[in-house]
Amino acid sequence: MIEVFTLAFLMLVSVASVVAAYLAIRERDMVKAIVYSAIQSAMYALIFYVLMAPDIVLVYIPVSVGITPAVLLFVTKKTERYDGD
Amino acid sequence: MRASELFVLVSIIVFIFSLAYITSLGGLGQLPPVNVRLLAQRYLELTWNPLKPFMSSSGYESVTAIVWDFRGLDTFFETAVFYGAIIAAIAIYRGVKISGKGRTTGMSPIARTITRLSTILIPTVAASIALHGHLTPGGGFQAGSVATVIVVLIIMVFGRKALIRKGMTKARILLFRSLGLLGIGFTAVAILLAGTALGLNAYVFQNQPKPFAPLGFPKLYDGMILGGSLLLFNLFEFIAVTAGFTLVLLLLSLGEEEVRGVVEK
Repeated sequence: MIEVFTLAFLMLVSVASVVAAYLAIRERDMVKAIVYSAIQSAMYALIFYVLMAPDIVLVYIPVSVGITPAVLLFVTKKTERYDGD
Repeated sequence: MRASELFVLVSIIVFIFSLAYITSLGGLGQLPPVNVRLLAQRYLELTWNPLKPFMSSSGYESVTAIVWDFRGLDTFFETAVFYGAIIAAIAIYRGVKISGKGRTTGMSPIARTITRLSTILIPTVAASIALHGHLTPGGGFQAGSVATVIVVLIIMVFGRKALIRKGMTKARILLFRSLGLLGIGFTAVAILLAGTALGLNAYVFQNQPKPFAPLGFPKLYDGMILGGSLLLFNLFEFIAVTAGFTLVLLLLSLGEEEVRGVVEK
């Protein structure tokens, strides 16, 4: 029974990550896209945690939610915030 | 969200799940067995095994034991690659003056206060991850990336100049980075050096005593698990990764006009 719950939770989280990834690609405002990308990474971190890889979670959360968005924000500051045609 | 967008999203999700289903049925090649494989069994058995002292590592944490003991050389080269990447970043930014002079406009008092509190909390968590890396999930790289979060916060909330004014200059961070890597290198050859000095047989990346190589890092002290070389590797990797990430963030946070003048010369 517990396996079914785990798998259902994994499925929910992975669907949410797909939605976040889609929104990150669609978004024209780079700052919002970075936030969506961070949400997607947080979902991945949850998946890693449920799949019993705490070592990966510990490195994945700071890198994907902390450092990568920061680096991308610095880069966005140097280019343009809005993606034009 | 429009209906067409929703349709695209639903098709992506359906595509991913059908691909996952096909993969789980073995449609994209043979699947690895579900039960624990032999190599994993060996690692789990030998990470902490007082009955086989010549074959086991020195901590409870299998991942750290694999990363820094069973497969230590791989991680060493990984760290070297990371160091090379940092050097490349510094080379691009060579000649750019990084000064802490001038006014900085920070964020609101709420953000500042919370960041001030976090400057104690986050490094504490990072240190616990690094120093407990041989007992609980964690390790040097994990701790280093956690500690970098506070640097990100300080640069975002107080500004880069505030960080430099607190003493985190480029030269000092580079010094820490090099000290970390030197520490890793020294820990890797420490037993070999000691063995050479004493005229005994020893190996590179030796942690515990091996047959005909009696030297090794201390495993226990007063009933407390020290973790041998794992603790030292984690500590130095923590320093190296924190300093490396800090340096890259410091360089990236420089204003474009400051960099462009130097790079275009």
